[in-house]
Amino acid sequence: MSDFLKIKNLKASIDGNQILKGIDLEVKPGEVHAIMGPNGSGKSTLASVLAGREEYEVEADEVSYLGDDVLELAPEERSRAGLFLAFQYPVEIPGVSNINFLKAAVNAKRKHRGLDDISAKDFMFMMKEKQALVELKQSLANRSVNEGFSGGEKKRNEIFQMAMLEPRLGILDETDSGLDIDALKIVANGVNKLKNDENAFIVITHYQRLLDYIIPDFVHVLFDGRIVKSGDKTLALELEEKGYDWLTNGVEAI
Amino acid sequence: MGDKQTFLKQFDSIPAVFPVQGTARAHIHNGLDFPTTRDEYWKYTRVNAILDKDYIDNSWMPSSINEYSIPAMDSIDIVFVNGGFNKELSSNASESGLVFGSVLNQDGENKNLILEHLGKYADSEKHAFSAFNTSYFKDGAFIRIKKGCEIKRPLRILNLSGGVNQANNLRNLFLIEENAQVQIIAHNIGAELQGGFVNVVTEVSVGDGSNLEYYLIENDGDESSLINTTHVHQAGTSTAKVVTLTQSGRLVRNNLNFDINGQGCESNMYGIYFTSGKQHLDNHTYADHRSPNCESNELYKGVMTERSTGVFNGKIMVRQEAQKTNAFQSNQNILLSDNASINTKPELEIYADDVKCSHGCTIGQLDDEALFYLRSRGLNKLEASKLLIQAFAGDVLEEISIPALQEYVAEFIHKKFEDLDA
Repeated sequence: MSDFLKIKNLKASIDGNQILKGIDLEVKPGEVHAIMGPNGSGKSTLASVLAGREEYEVEADEVSYLGDDVLELAPEERSRAGLFLAFQYPVEIPGVSNINFLKAAVNAKRKHRGLDDISAKDFMFMMKEKQALVELKQSLANRSVNEGFSGGEKKRNEIFQMAMLEPRLGILDETDSGLDIDALKIVANGVNKLKNDENAFIVITHYQRLLDYIIPDFVHVLFDGRIVKSGDKTLALELEEKGYDWLTNGVEAI
Repeated sequence: MGDKQTFLKQFDSIPAVFPVQGTARAHIHNGLDFPTTRDEYWKYTRVNAILDKDYIDNSWMPSSINEYSIPAMDSIDIVFVNGGFNKELSSNASESGLVFGSVLNQDGENKNLILEHLGKYADSEKHAFSAFNTSYFKDGAFIRIKKGCEIKRPLRILNLSGGVNQANNLRNLFLIEENAQVQIIAHNIGAELQGGFVNVVTEVSVGDGSNLEYYLIENDGDESSLINTTHVHQAGTSTAKVVTLTQSGRLVRNNLNFDINGQGCESNMYGIYFTSGKQHLDNHTYADHRSPNCESNELYKGVMTERSTGVFNGKIMVRQEAQKTNAFQSNQNILLSDNASINTKPELEIYADDVKCSHGCTIGQLDDEALFYLRSRGLNKLEASKLLIQAFAGDVLEEISIPALQEYVAEFIHKKFEDLDA
């Protein structure tokens, strides 16, 4: 069996600034990986590069996902192959209805698998079921994509989309930022319900708080474009207690 | 440029039926010249290709008009072929209060109305293509909605052009009497036209308290030229809406003029276009506010791709007596290719001191962030662009109040993307 996700020596730069300086990471089905680190360490860049944002210059010894060379795939191909990025800042798209957008996305994925378009009835049923998962109001689904949504609603909409598309690998880019504790629980609960032995999640976060609700199997600390420490969930607690300084002091010298 | 007299001579055998035709011929043969790019009004649109051509009167005839129908549209149709009325292809249906036929075939009261109104609104002294149309039109649609009547079904003027190097001068006259209501579609099709020139002039009088919706669909094919001139003359408390959809045309020039002549009028102008190849599209509009307490709204939205070029020039004139005017104008463009271009020029000329006017134009690309967001959910670049363009066109589409026509326009946008994909 080919590797699920394998990243070796991933480097990325934008406008001549190198942000990622050699990331190694391996994710297996059924795992939850948390990536933590101070501002500017490259967490969101890692998420963006995996999702296929085009403004980065990327090089790596290997970035493979289910046997595919991820870097060779367009963003939509990565999505259809089961990769999903929950955006840190979801985009408002006036005039494009959430429903039409989601139907197009669901059908794009079905087409990739050689299936016919989803029937209107099945789609509505699926919508209802997944909305309940993240307690997203029906009225929001009928509106334009993210338009006029509160910060919390946008994040819930991301998890709702993730639930609709049923990815194999979900990457959550600071989905917890800007969420109050109730919203945080709803989002975490959504992720936990989607979790199974076949899929995996990479949870990027600033705070340990989210990891009280989504229990990670591995915690990685990203600093200055490199993973400087990896451990189990106790590492997150240690970081909460001690901050990042004890890990990052001296790293800059490398 | 070719010699004007040589160009005109090709049409001299067409009989002058109405007195205005003789007057216009005198103008066009003598002092009035066709515009060049030295005229500000025609700065970006060269008409040489139209004037340098030898035109032939073709005997082209469509076998049926089924292929030119708008799906699910229940309209009363009148058909013109290369500028001449075709009774056989036209529908016989009628409604009370409606006169819907050819300009040439009217008699009695209707003929007198035509003699009174024809040439009253279109300017054949200053505008050469209007004078050319007045001089040499073969026929056109005459629509009269009698006082207080509401026409339930849309009226469609199907102006078919076909053959090689065919010229088609169509001249329409619409008289919407007091408190009447109608929806009219002018459907120009040149599916089998090769290198032709279609020159339409439409004069419209909208009576007190009336409501007109007028839709122009322009699809004369990518080897042909179209100049489409529309004059709307509005009396008090009337509402008129003109929506222009440009589907094809090597060169398309639209002149849309509103004379707003009574208190409490509402004048609405909407346009939608999606150009490709080497198309050149020029939209000129003019809203002339001559009376107080009127409102005009204008929104033209377009997508341009490949090597197509465009022009938008919208002028709002607010005369001194037109106090309390509300006038809004906007032209928004999305360029999908580095080689597409548009020159857009909003103009305000205001002589009244208590008015609210605004204008604006935008030229941009699709939002990269939105595109990436949609692609990251599995839509390919074309599908994502299509969703964004449909959203962009949405507010003009909503102004089309005939559902079948709205669907037709949405389908046009959809089809355009399929063609780009191919």
